[in-house]
Amino acid sequence: MYDFFEAFEQMGWVQWISHSSWLYPAISVLHYFTIFWVVGTIALVDLRILGFAGRRQTASEWSDQLAPWTWTAMAICLVTGFLMFATGAGEFILSGMFVGKMAATLVGVVLAVVVHRGVRKWDRAPAIPGSAKVLAAACLLVWFGTILLGVEVANYGFF
Amino acid sequence: MGGLLMAWAQWLETTPWGYPVRTSLWLYPFIQLIHFGGLSLWIGTSAAVDLRLMGLGRRRQTAGQLSDQLFAWNWIGFAIMLLGGFLLFSATATTFLVNAAFLVKLTYLVPIALVWHIIVQRKARTWGKNEETPASAKLAGVLELALWLSVVTAAVLIPSY
Repeated sequence: MYDFFEAFEQMGWVQWISHSSWLYPAISVLHYFTIFWVVGTIALVDLRILGFAGRRQTASEWSDQLAPWTWTAMAICLVTGFLMFATGAGEFILSGMFVGKMAATLVGVVLAVVVHRGVRKWDRAPAIPGSAKVLAAACLLVWFGTILLGVEVANYGFF
Repeated sequence: MGGLLMAWAQWLETTPWGYPVRTSLWLYPFIQLIHFGGLSLWIGTSAAVDLRLMGLGRRRQTAGQLSDQLFAWNWIGFAIMLLGGFLLFSATATTFLVNAAFLVKLTYLVPIALVWHIIVQRKARTWGKNEETPASAKLAGVLELALWLSVVTAAVLIPSY
């Protein structure tokens, strides 16, 4: 597996990113900016479901306004993240911290999708059900965990 | 002035909050999480208003309504971010004070972006009264997004200096 990803790392366009003086930092900026954007908009929807934000509106109105930005930013974040991964693919794939970050991201995306799909149904109930609140809290925590692991990957590189 | 700042930075590094953040093995990333968690709320709320001012995205609410509804969490995010940032700064204050990227970020970019943010927030009610926003509002939204992007750019460059 290491050999495959190491070979991938040596491909022309990946080398271009690695050796350019400005391309990698530019991609990093977009990756950071969009992850804040993703987590911020997801957190606002979760906070609405938990009853801490946007109480003048229904949860689905709140989510409708923010969700398109969650997914737009997510797309940019995944593409830029993949480009950053490519420059160190061989080492990243062997890093427990990095694999953990990917797993947390996957769980976070699934939870965010479940929350966005459930919100209309929960609005029709007399009050937002307890199970929805548990789901929203879990979603929030997983995304904080993703940031934490991401920070560790950035600080310590390959572990 | 420079000497005074440096003395303050040296003192910060020895404080009951600065010292442990620097020396503990596990504390630093959690403080980064505070900084980035707060920043996420800040960017998430600010960008939503800026993009609505630009006329992009869903139009369930006017920019004015959106700005009002996001106001509280916008500033809660700011407070969390500031707390995390101050703790991170305290940990290695003397090195931050001589880091060119950090100095540009904190003395130019952040104040400019912040002042512009407050202006946009105050004007959002008039600019965002109707569904369609005026050209000045669109420009203001683009400018704010660009300013925060520049702040993040300076931050990303801190380790290279």
